[in-house]
Amino acid sequence: MLNYIFKRIIHAAEVLFVVSLITFAVLLWIPGDVAQLILGSDATPEKLEALRISLGLDRAWYLQYWDWLKGLFRLDLGQSYLFGQNVTTLIAQRLPVTLSIAVFSMLIASVTAILLGSLAAIKKNTKTDYFVTGLMQLGSSVPSFWIGMLCIVFFGLKLKIFPITGYVPIEKGFIPYLNSIFLPSFVLAIGEIGMLLRTVRTSMLDSLRQDYMDMAKVKGLPKVTVYLKYALRSAMIAPINVMGIQFAKLVGGTVVIESVFSLPGLGRLILVAVEQRDIMLLQGLVIFITFLVILISLIVDIAVMFLNPRIRVQMEGE
Amino acid sequence: MGKNKMKVNKKYHLLVGGILSFLVLSLCLVSFFYTPYPPNEMNLSDKFISPGDSGKYLLGTDHFGRDILSRIMYGSQSIVIVCLLAVAIGALVGSVLGGVSGIFKGRISSLIMRGIDGLMAFPGILLAMMMVVVVGKGKEGAIVAISIFMVPSFARLVYSLILDSESNLFIKAAKSYGITRRRLLVKHYLPIILPRLITLFTACLGAAIMIETSLSFLGLGVQPPNASWGMMLNEARQNFLQYPYLAIPSGIAISLSVLGFNLLGDGLNELFTKRRS
Repeated sequence: MLNYIFKRIIHAAEVLFVVSLITFAVLLWIPGDVAQLILGSDATPEKLEALRISLGLDRAWYLQYWDWLKGLFRLDLGQSYLFGQNVTTLIAQRLPVTLSIAVFSMLIASVTAILLGSLAAIKKNTKTDYFVTGLMQLGSSVPSFWIGMLCIVFFGLKLKIFPITGYVPIEKGFIPYLNSIFLPSFVLAIGEIGMLLRTVRTSMLDSLRQDYMDMAKVKGLPKVTVYLKYALRSAMIAPINVMGIQFAKLVGGTVVIESVFSLPGLGRLILVAVEQRDIMLLQGLVIFITFLVILISLIVDIAVMFLNPRIRVQMEGE
Repeated sequence: MGKNKMKVNKKYHLLVGGILSFLVLSLCLVSFFYTPYPPNEMNLSDKFISPGDSGKYLLGTDHFGRDILSRIMYGSQSIVIVCLLAVAIGALVGSVLGGVSGIFKGRISSLIMRGIDGLMAFPGILLAMMMVVVVGKGKEGAIVAISIFMVPSFARLVYSLILDSESNLFIKAAKSYGITRRRLLVKHYLPIILPRLITLFTACLGAAIMIETSLSFLGLGVQPPNASWGMMLNEARQNFLQYPYLAIPSGIAISLSVLGFNLLGDGLNELFTKRRS
């Protein structure tokens, strides 16, 4: 078992290394001169040269890469030329917003998907099943930015239940905070439910077919116990895996929704970095978010291993 | 009885998906020859005309008085061309990479597959945005961004299919006859791989449309004044609080085309799995 965890961590480290190489290589290709970008078009050649040297841009790429890599280990992602601040500081300021939306939308998506997915599986091939799976198909086809816009009009303007845009930090009160992130999280969740629901339904169908389900029914256990305690519990392994992957991807996937709801999160920072070609900032953001993604899926993988009795027993037997 | 019902369900995926995809493709084709108005023609005296207000504009006009229906039709071009091209490139590169690592194994294989793992770790839109910085905003940027995003799925599919089918008797037999690698690939692997590739290709089109419209919504895809569905929604943002009708047609167009290709992918998948079993 320890062996497996160790292997999994090594694999994660490898992926992270590849990711850092890809990120660095891709952004090295960017046409145009970073020094020119910082100083503007009227800078003298001497000044440009001086800045290039001070930024280390005159050196071979692998030396630059090595320096950047060393910085990563000290949590130093470099300086954003646009904000004139440390990239790490910028990320730390905006992370709570993005994490809040990601966590809440994952919560909404998971609860809905588990409920509806199990329902669809239990009522397999009935109208309920078709309705739920049809709804899911529709939900994953509608772009989140469009639903977001419609929700702003309907809930924000017509019904005036939620604020239209903006973010209230949790220190200013839990209710205002929840109000400000509910709508974006809800909209984001709609796109996530589809995939998750499909997994819940399939794995629930699978577990409903097992012999112990017949046994439980024959024993005359109440339906709720049968479905909750026997079927759902063993059907949760695959969905938890999917949840982990989805949550990880959500952290990097909030760009569009943050733009719709004008939330000051990581997504907005990425958009600014892309538009203004702030390479250091973009590099830092990409590597940070991808690191988070890899870390989360690592944790989920290991957690699933502990949850799944079959894998656990198998490992201990080895 | 249950089985009968499932059949109905399967056919319906294929049918609805097929119809919707066909509609999107024909909308694109028609727009090359005919749009009610020139899609970029401004007519400021006719701005913000709601649909149905005058008989002239079926879906109304936007903030520059441009006909929304014409822009929707024209916008389908960028969707169809960018997405088809991007997924095709991604599929080609991915399949070649997956095929090479499946057949040659060893160091090349592990090198390629590590790279694929790395690519997969990036959240989709992040990788796409990074590529936009390199290639630049616009159609080319979107194509490169989306195609790179598609590479891992195809590489993994082809790789795992080749590994899976190696244990098949007919492949073992063919190898024992001393078949050339090329013949093995064309004669034996291709019939196994092709249906799955077609399915994945269709499903990826849905995902590609989602990324393309997201990019153009963020202002990183097709550039104004040319129309694209995502950008039309972005433009509608400034005025849709007063004129909500602005945000309806392009949203529906995006949703229906994504739904169409997703359903078609599902339908094809069910069709091919049924045939195999």
